This record gives sequence, C-alpha cells and structure tokens, in this order.
Amino acid sequence: MNNPMALELRGVSKAFDGRRVLHDIDLQLRAGEVHALLGQNGSGKSTLIKILAGYHPPERGAGGVVHGEPFELGDAASAREAGIRFIHQDLGLVGDLDVVDNLALGDRYTRRWWLSDRQERRAAQALLMEFDVDIDGATLVRSLAPAQQTLVALVRAIRRGIDARGLLVLDEPTASLPSHEVKHLFALIRQIRERGGTVLYVTHRLPEVFEVADRVTVLRDGRHVCTEPIEALDHDSLVERIVGRPLSAFYATPPPVREDVVLEASEMSGGSVTSASLTIHSGEIVGVTGLVGSGYEDLLYLIFGGGRHSRTGGTVTVAGVGTLSGAGPHESILAGLALAPADRKRLSAIPEWTLRENVTLPLLHARGPLRWMTTRRERADAQVWLDRLQVTPAEPERMFSSLSGGNQQKVVLSRWLRCGAEAFLLDEPTAGVDVGSKQAIYAAIADAAREGAAILMASSDPEELCAVCDRVLVMRNGALAVTLAGDGLTPDSLAHEVIRETPPSLPSPAIDERNRALHV
Amino acid sequence: MSEETSTLPEARPRDAVLGPQEETIEEPRRGRSLPSLGGSSRFTGLLLLAVIISVFAVWIPDTFLRSATAQGIASEQAVTLVVAVGLLANLAAGQFDLSVAGNLGLTSLLVATLMVYDHMAPGLAVAIGLAAGTAIGVVNGVLVAVIGVNSFIATLGMSSVLLAITEQISGDQFVGPLPSSFVSLTGHSLAGVPEIAIYALIVAVVVWWALEHTPWGRRVYGTGAGPDAAKLAGVRTGRYVFGTFVISGFVAGLAGVLLASQLGDLSPTLGPPYLLPVFAACFLGTTQVKPGRFNVWGTVLAIILLAVGEKGLQLADGGALWVTDLFNGVALIGAVSVAVLSARWRRSNT
Repeated sequence: MNNPMALELRGVSKAFDGRRVLHDIDLQLRAGEVHALLGQNGSGKSTLIKILAGYHPPERGAGGVVHGEPFELGDAASAREAGIRFIHQDLGLVGDLDVVDNLALGDRYTRRWWLSDRQERRAAQALLMEFDVDIDGATLVRSLAPAQQTLVALVRAIRRGIDARGLLVLDEPTASLPSHEVKHLFALIRQIRERGGTVLYVTHRLPEVFEVADRVTVLRDGRHVCTEPIEALDHDSLVERIVGRPLSAFYATPPPVREDVVLEASEMSGGSVTSASLTIHSGEIVGVTGLVGSGYEDLLYLIFGGGRHSRTGGTVTVAGVGTLSGAGPHESILAGLALAPADRKRLSAIPEWTLRENVTLPLLHARGPLRWMTTRRERADAQVWLDRLQVTPAEPERMFSSLSGGNQQKVVLSRWLRCGAEAFLLDEPTAGVDVGSKQAIYAAIADAAREGAAILMASSDPEELCAVCDRVLVMRNGALAVTLAGDGLTPDSLAHEVIRETPPSLPSPAIDERNRALHV
Repeated sequence: MSEETSTLPEARPRDAVLGPQEETIEEPRRGRSLPSLGGSSRFTGLLLLAVIISVFAVWIPDTFLRSATAQGIASEQAVTLVVAVGLLANLAAGQFDLSVAGNLGLTSLLVATLMVYDHMAPGLAVAIGLAAGTAIGVVNGVLVAVIGVNSFIATLGMSSVLLAITEQISGDQFVGPLPSSFVSLTGHSLAGVPEIAIYALIVAVVVWWALEHTPWGRRVYGTGAGPDAAKLAGVRTGRYVFGTFVISGFVAGLAGVLLASQLGDLSPTLGPPYLLPVFAACFLGTTQVKPGRFNVWGTVLAIILLAVGEKGLQLADGGALWVTDLFNGVALIGAVSVAVLSARWRRSNT
C-alpha cells in the first residue's frame, strides 16, 4: 500500500463571515484508490469539495499537490489542468439531447469544421462499449433511468481517457438513485480503479462506502476526524465517527398498532399501478417498495390525487371522512391526508420562500371579517412547529433552500403535523439526508404514529424499511405482490422479493437483467 | 432572492461561534431593518429618488421645484398606478396579462361612446364599462386556466382583438366631449392632492391588503412561486390563476373609466402606450421593498421614481416626447439588471 499520492491537500482552512467552517484540513488520496469522504451536512465536506473545484478560494497556507505537482487551490482552471474531474449531484446533462450529443458537450467534437453525425455516433458508441456501458447513443438523456444518466455523466468525465494520473471527484452521485441501480455505477467505478484512476467519493449512504471504498476520511464540524482503511470499520463505528456520539437507538422503536383503520385505499390504478389495495391502522408504519416501474413510486401520489399520473380508478377512505374518488390534493388534505414528496426542491415546498411561509401554506389562519394575516402571529405559529421538530436553525424567516436536506424534510413534516393530518404519505423521506438527521426524521415519524397517525412510506432502502416499518408491501408489475412483516422482514428477504420476477413493463430490460444478476 | 441568506455560509458547523439563541433573536429582525450599506437593497429606490430630486432641484429649480410638478405627476401617473397594481396579482401568480393596456383603451372608449353617441346616463355607462373589463378578464382566464393556452400568447392575441374592437366602435375618431357630470368625477383636488390620485391609492391599499395580508394573497404568491408544490399543498392553482385574470381585467376597466373621466375627449389609440410603463413599474417594483416579489409598495415607489425622472427630463428639455420612452426603457433594463446581479453576487457569497 505504498502507492504514491494522487492528491494531497494540506492545511485547508476556510471561514465565511468570520465563522470557521474548515479547520486546517489535510487530505491524502493514494493513487488507484477509491476514497470516501464522509460527514454530516455542515461538516464542511461540501466546502472542501468546492475549494478543490476552485469555487471558493481557501485561506492562506493551504496547499494542493496532484501526483507530486503543486496546483493552485481555489482556481477552477488550475484544478482542471491538474487533471481533476468533478461529477456533481446535478449531473449537468441536457435532457433533450441524446447520449451522443451529451458526451460531446463541453468537449471537442471529432471534427472541427464539419459535424458528422455518423462519426460522432460511432465514436460515442465505442466509448460506451469501452466502459461496458450498455446504453444506445441515440436515446434522449431524459428518457434514461437516473442510474444510466449518472453513467453517461461519468463516461463523459473520463472521456479523454482515465489513466494513472486521472482523479475523479464524485459528489453524492447516488443521492437520487434507488439502491439497486447503484450497482452499475459501482461497476464503472471499479473499472476506473483497475485502470489506475483515483476516485474521491462523497456520499451519505454508508452501505455504499463499505461496498466500494478502500479508505475513508471523516469530517465533523469542519475538522478532520479520521482517515482509516475500510476494513478497520463497521457500520456502527463509522456512524459514531460521523455523528460524534454513540448511537444507542438509531431507529426509533415503532409504536404499538391500534385497531382502528385510518387509511383505506382500494383498487387504486393509474400510472404504472394496475391494481393495489391497502389498509393502514392507527399508529401503523407501513412501507412500500419495488423496482422502478413496479408502481411503488406512483402509489402515494395516486392515493393523494396529485402528481404526474392521474388516478384512473379506485377509492380512498380516510378515517371517518367518507370516500374520496377522483379527488385532488385540496380534497385529500381536507380529509386528513398529507404527502411529503421525494423531490423537495420542486414538489415538497417552495425553496425561495421562508420556513414560515412553507409551514403555513396548507392551513392559513386569518382573523376577522377582513381575513387579516399578520407576519408576527404567523411567525409565532411556525416557531412552535419548527421547535417541536428540532429544525436547525429554527428561524421562521430563514429561506427554505438554505437548510440541509434533513432539516428541509423536518420542515415538510412539521407543516403536515401542524395541519393535524391523520395519514402521512412519505416518499423517500430520508433521500439525500445525512445520518444525524435521519435519526431525527425516524423519531418524528414514530412520534406521529404514536399520536395515532397512519403512515405509508415509499422507500428504496431495504435497511430503513426493515428498521422503521411494521410491515412492508412489495410491488411488482403494478400490483402488490407480497407483504413482509415480523421475522420475515429482513433486508435480504426484502431485496430478494423486490427483484424476484422480471416485470415485463420495465423501461429498460437491460437494467433489470443486471439487477437480477447482481442480487441473486 | 431574499436577503436572509446573504451573510450565512451554506455549510455551517453546528456549534458555531454564535450560539443558537443569539441567532434566533437576530435573524428575523434582519428582514425588517432599515437599509444598511452593503446589506439590504430593499429601499435603494428611495435613495435614488432623493438623488434624482436633488439633481433636478439644482439643475432646473424654477420649473421643477413647484407644487404643480408634484400635482402633475400625481394626476398623470394615477391611471398607470391603477392598472399596475391591478396586474400585480396576475404577475404574482406567474402569469402575464398583456391585454390590460388594450382593456384600458377599449373600456375608456366604450364608456365615452355610450355617453356621447347613445346619450346613456354616466352611471349606467360606467357599469357597462366595468362589466366589459371584467368580461375580458374572464375570457383570458378561460383561455389560460381552463383551455391551457400560455398566458403570454393568449393575452397578446387578446390585445390585438381589443385594439380592433376599439377602432371599430370609435370609427378611428376622437370621442368627446364627455358630460361635465362625468368629467367632474376626477376634476377636483383634496388639500392639493388630485382626486384621481386618491382613487389610485385606495385601489393600491386594497390590493396590498388582499395580496399581502390575506390567505388568498398567500396562495396567489404560492401559485406563482412553485405551482407544483402549491398544488400539492392544497392550493387549487387553476382557480387562483383564473381569479387573477378576472381581477386584472376588472381593474383595467376601472382604470379605463377613470381615464375617460380625466381626459373628457378620447383618442382611439389611448391604451397601447400604457403597456410598457405598467410592466416596467411592476418589474421595477420587484427590486424594492420586498425584493424578489411583486409587491404593491415597490410598484408605487417604482412609478414615482420613473415619473419624477421623466418629468424632470421633460421640463429640462422643453417637453420632448421621446425622453419618456427612452427613460422608461433604460430605467427598467438598468434596475432589473442591477437586481439580478446583486442576487447573483449574494448567492456566490454563500
């Protein structure tokens, strides 16, 4: 393991407005390793990545060396020249262009004066073949699965050849990917490593770290906590290093289930769902999962009556409030339903609004014949809920988008708790959320259930589902296939049930075959 | 676009130097504080207004520094203000009602024609004028909220239709003079303030109340700021879009009545020239008072700012008409560019 260093950062410090966010960080990447950079939101890892990318300048005294050659930290051109390539969570692909065009974007075309479609296509397809990526170059990027899009972005980043000098920085590339699709990405990362490339991998998902990383560096509160080989760590010890305290009870204990039915949906159909019926009791936390295309990702929206696909059939009953058929979000909310979508930026909330406005939007209190609202009263109202959910910072006038993913999710939950919702529909409630906040979100979900709410949560994370839910519904081909509960509910059994049959209606059969090959 | 984020880094250590208590007290106040150098740009318009007034006060003291100048500005801008604040809800809901100027032109002429040629009683004519303005809004609302035509296209087409109708009923002739009982509606002053300016302020206060202090207004803003998120939060966005078109139509009709009363003798091409000043005021208004949002007092400030600058230049230059157009255009592009750049500057510093 005496590889020469691919990247060395020394003494990187950074302060914003007198507030220190990075304290004298050292980071060393050996050539040919996959190095995971971990830390909660606010730990300083994104600032470090931004400094590396040349987005922020570091303070005096910081130095960077790539393969023995110093480069100027905080200068984008210098980082690029040194051979560092970045892939951010937002992949930077153009959805309306095909794969070939996207591969050529931001790079040279094969010819300069006369674009030949055929030649570009051949070159691109050869490139994809080289990395064993099974995607047709003529496909529009927006019609690719998220995982395939990530692959395209990766191939583009290493298009000019990844060699012993290459250094690739992946900034949460899997945040929006279902866990079973991540495998293809890992296959590509391993290929890059085999060719001598070095990868710095930023993620919140710890299982991925154990799967793909060689060494791990943990940051906490802007300080370097440790750099260790992955063999020296297990899940709990790693979480402890990230959070800074032992995790006595990471997952909240599920509350007892009561007898009365709160949410009943029968014969739901629409989108990729062909037929699904379910009943959830007061205090019950039910999970729903499946492959992309199995219907699990559409089910919550069909029940709520909002989203991409309209309901083509089925009825929903919420405790004591009659039947809703063909209802929209307005009616669903009045009946006591609440939906927290996975797409927090576009669907859960209005990012450039304050926390106060986002919390109160579904239920606005006004006084008197003039329906007068005052900011002061509204702020006090929102403050109560922000405090209850322990949102940090619990400042009603803070802009929603300035919060970390975990805290944004807490704001969304507080909004619906405030409305007194009886049934919560949560779509990937912990996607893009750091470890510490996950715990708080699980606790908030358990609290809501304890107070009598029924909870239906869609998730692609088997471990989360097993730990949080009383039972988990697995969907296949647009219908509920099996229900796992009690001792039968384990991450392995869940993963197995999810991929047991090949749904014929999947957008890409290639993905599915690989799913099977990798899982079984 | 809010200034709250301006000073805080995105990645913040949990136990930062400032304790959490100190922050919760300080942070909400920042949004309400008076302008500080380099901090907030919410009231740069007032500063600019002071500068413009001082410049003209020194340059042309004899003609500029007179109460007649202020009164002139107030009565000339009243109609623009009414149309602009009537349009605010529509813009806040993420729509573009380009037909307000055409609406204004048609209703003013319609009211005049009814009184002059059909010898209708002013009260009835006014009612028909208001109904016509509202009906235009309803048609726009149906096109956009029900059929789903892009609001820009729907109201652009509507503008052309309205212009055609206006030319048709006027026969391309001036209409007037209007009955003195109708003209006197706006002819007086209260303590030196022209009556028409007072009407405009009343409309502004009503819109301010509805937009900024009622649940209805909050949902309108939500419809514009994040239509999908608002819908999933239970806002029936289609209804709100429809409603804002009805309002902009009704208020444009009201402005048409005021304009007819103010002028007493109407040209068939009155409406269209109002389009630019009205939109300029609304967009300029988003840089003031509540940056990033269409808001009433920002719009009022913008109109005063534009009007004072324009008036001063006219007085200094002996009343050349091109000055108005040039000033409006340059001020709009300049101010909005500055707002965009300062927002970007704030963002890159977080």
